[in-house]
Amino acid sequence: MRPIIVPPCQAACPINTDVRGYVSAIARGDAEEALRVIRRVNPLPSVCGRICTRRCETACRRAQVDAPVAIRALKRYAADLAIGQSFFTRPLSSYPEKVAIVGSGPSGLVAAHDLALLGYSVTLFEARPVLGGLLSEGIPKYRLPKEIVQREIGAIVSLGIEVKTGVRFGKEVSLDGLLWDFDAVFIAVGSGKGIVPQCDGVDLSGVFSGVDFLKEVDRGDRQAPGRRVVVIGGGHTAIDAARTCIRLGVSEVTVVYRRSLEEMPAGKEEVLRAEEEGVRFVYCAAPIRFIGKTRVERVRFARTALGEPEESGRRRPVPLEGSEFDLEADAVILAIGYAPDAEEIKEAGLKVGERGTIVVMDETGATDITGVFAAGDVVTGPMSVVDAMASGRKAAGAIHRYFRRIPDNAFDRLVSLRPLETSVTAAIQKSERQEPSLLPREQRTTSFDEVESALDHEQARREALRCLNCGAGATVDGECAACLNCVRVCPFGIPAMGAQTVEIDVAQCQACGICAAECPACAIHLKDDARYPMRPGVDRVLEKAREESPDIVVTGFYCCFRHPLGPPVERHALSWIPVLCLGRLRESDILYPFEVGAEGILLVSCRDEECRFGRGVRLLAERVERVKTILDDTGIGGSRLSVVAGDDECDRFIRGIERLGINPVRTGKRVAA
Amino acid sequence: MIVAEAKPFDEIKEMVNGYRKVLVLGCGSCVTVCMSGGQKEAELLAAALRIARGIERREATVDAKTILRQCDEEFVRQVRDELSSYDAVLSMACGAGVQGMNEWLRNVPVLPAMNTRFIGLCEGQGKWVEVCAACGDCVLGVTGGICPVTSCPKGILNGPCGGNKKGRCEVSPDVPCAWVLIYERMKERGKLEEFKKERAAKDWSKRQRPGRYTHRP
Ligand SMILES: Cc1cc2nc3c(=O)[nH]c(=O)nc-3n(C[C@H](O)[C@H](O)[C@H](O)COP(=O)(O)OP(=O)(O)OC[C@H]3O[C@@H](n4cnc5c(N)ncnc54)[C@H](O)[C@@H]3O)c2cc1C
Ligand code: SF4
Ligand code: SF4
Repeated sequence: MRPIIVPPCQAACPINTDVRGYVSAIARGDAEEALRVIRRVNPLPSVCGRICTRRCETACRRAQVDAPVAIRALKRYAADLAIGQSFFTRPLSSYPEKVAIVGSGPSGLVAAHDLALLGYSVTLFEARPVLGGLLSEGIPKYRLPKEIVQREIGAIVSLGIEVKTGVRFGKEVSLDGLLWDFDAVFIAVGSGKGIVPQCDGVDLSGVFSGVDFLKEVDRGDRQAPGRRVVVIGGGHTAIDAARTCIRLGVSEVTVVYRRSLEEMPAGKEEVLRAEEEGVRFVYCAAPIRFIGKTRVERVRFARTALGEPEESGRRRPVPLEGSEFDLEADAVILAIGYAPDAEEIKEAGLKVGERGTIVVMDETGATDITGVFAAGDVVTGPMSVVDAMASGRKAAGAIHRYFRRIPDNAFDRLVSLRPLETSVTAAIQKSERQEPSLLPREQRTTSFDEVESALDHEQARREALRCLNCGAGATVDGECAACLNCVRVCPFGIPAMGAQTVEIDVAQCQACGICAAECPACAIHLKDDARYPMRPGVDRVLEKAREESPDIVVTGFYCCFRHPLGPPVERHALSWIPVLCLGRLRESDILYPFEVGAEGILLVSCRDEECRFGRGVRLLAERVERVKTILDDTGIGGSRLSVVAGDDECDRFIRGIERLGINPVRTGKRVAA
Repeated sequence: MIVAEAKPFDEIKEMVNGYRKVLVLGCGSCVTVCMSGGQKEAELLAAALRIARGIERREATVDAKTILRQCDEEFVRQVRDELSSYDAVLSMACGAGVQGMNEWLRNVPVLPAMNTRFIGLCEGQGKWVEVCAACGDCVLGVTGGICPVTSCPKGILNGPCGGNKKGRCEVSPDVPCAWVLIYERMKERGKLEEFKKERAAKDWSKRQRPGRYTHRP
């Protein structure tokens, strides 16, 4: 098991999504490829593109420069282009084993998806009439529209999964029964039971659990619980319950949390959204009593101070004596956590851990009963959608190995690149993060319409271009002559002399390609780039252009940072090749189109002082002069090559080429490649 | 390090005119370091020749390749068979490389694409300056580590001469006076006494050509 070094975003993602891969595809304008990259590991991309807890963004190294790349929004952008479209088909050959999956939340869905693709017959049991777990009933639709959830689930089920809704494990089916009919059972029933605080008056009517409340709202069984509602808690559930109350028409909603905003498990952004909608927040207060005759009327709180850090790393709230105060309330929503239903698990004969969870052996999800696996919130307690998905994936792999008797080898160990050094971050150009637009506030407080919209095309391209392409930088091969040109030319000071050859630290390289273009030995290669990365593109573009315009073909190279939306102008006879900074073009890249017959070449770069990599434009200018000399020497003529800025200049250049006529290489015999 | 620069394109084109199949052979040592004759330049020259021949409607193969050193037979031997399939090899090595190649290849003419210029130092990315004339009788020990034989256009051993104007040589305002530089350096090192001493004439017989060197005579 060798550690594989990956960008921090990928290492942080529980399903190890190739973030850089799909973000760079969006930057190139290839959203379809982006979606393919995402779908390789994620069958719920539109869901995750909306509500993922985005650990990738917390890890993103762009944050060292300004703000992390809006990775989640980019995922949504790509995923929404083809929601529910199937990317995979059921394999032709299949295995004889049958698997029962209990619970259709993200954990169960991913396990079902993976096992179906591996070729097993899968039956999905779900107690509720709808599939999806908390995605369908729980997470409010203003954050996660239900049609989207159903369309993505539809694509999963279409892999040939048998679905049995309205069947409750422990009631309609038992573990013994399932083990009789199936070769393995995977349990992912989630954490459905709200936790109730130990204080007087919790049994009063009007005091209820947040998760239950949200589920009921999604089922359409819930009206406004009162005029004044107090929500107790600081996680997703608390904020979701409060914002849902606003949408149901509750006029006064107060969230009370026992710690400070800093320690709140719900993100600051969510708190901000709730505040915009009129939710009031009270921090550092804990309930001590619910007061009322039969129905709750008031809640008594004590102020808290933050003491020593607890296991979770957050500081323990300690009630302060004599600090009590009351809040009036017609209804109280308890959102201080939820846990699995321990009774159900115990009855099935599974080992129950603390907080009612199922005890498993390791990350394969194997339980102490052979052939029975478990994962998701029922094992971990409340976590997140992507964690549930990851655990479902691991369990599916373990079930496959169990059937096929493949030893449980250790999983690939992905290790993150080191942080950027400050000398490097200081040299990186800043660029503003693109934020999705939000529904106007009036609409938010009166409807369950989705609040956040997708990034538009321009925003998506701009945002994708903010990615630093971590780990996709330069490598040096054995041809290195130790000439030190790269050491002298790198805008970030990264190449350094090693024992024999230059070494380029993959963790720091910014993948600008400048050193590779300058290397006199052609010994530097950008990761994933072929030896002549530009050539296939040039060949393709020229062939197509020649069909359309047999006489004059002009090839244009443009900088994606300058023109994120695509070619600067569209003209007949002009075919474009996008390049991430023209500073990576070598002289031979510029000469090549002439060799294969182009009449002219246009280069559209940034202004010198705006170059994303500082010196790309200056070096390009030097190389262009060199190529012009070669063109003059060979008889093609240097005036067929030009660096231009605006549309007018493009037109003028094309007219000039028309006057010059056909590339003399084409009128002569073809040259050998 | 040896610094060389490519000959004018027309001259090169003319030189290989009579050969159908040509290999542009870069050298992976000195000329790669000074950026004039490594793989990158070999590819560029080959492309330029292909274009020029294409325009002249001449069917021709012009390829590019680089070996680590053209001035040692062992390296050349490794590619002898491959090189023998060409009508001519256009060498981007220094004069030593071109001569060695001609000696060891025999059946294929090896032509020089470069003018070998000097022994020099890098003055910053892409710039080199001559610093050693290979005179055979080094004086750097008494000139503060700056060579007057190379850096002074007159090569005098007891300077500066009267042609020094504000630290510049009378030959050209672009040329700093080597002897002023030597003075500054020796002053900095507290060696002005030594600077004032007269330096005897050099033994120019050591420069008799062709030079020869034997490691353990
Ligand atoms: C209000 C709220 C908001 C949240 N917001 C986010 C968020 O923004 N981002 C995020 O990443 N995570 C969020 N989470 C957490 C996330 O929803 C869960 O971690 C995730 O859904 C767990 O997936 P799971 O598959 O383990 O279980 P669940 O999604 O809970 O699914 C379990 C399924 O099993 C079924 N089931 C239960 N018992 C039985 C039985 N006996 N027989 C048959 N079926 C049964 C249930 O009906 C359900 O369909 C939120 C959670 C809540 C409550
Ligand atoms: S900059 Fe790009 S590759 Fe680097 S961590 Fe952020 S998203 Fe990932
Ligand atoms: S690719 Fe750019 S950042 Fe990386 S080492 Fe080369 S010049 Fe430096």
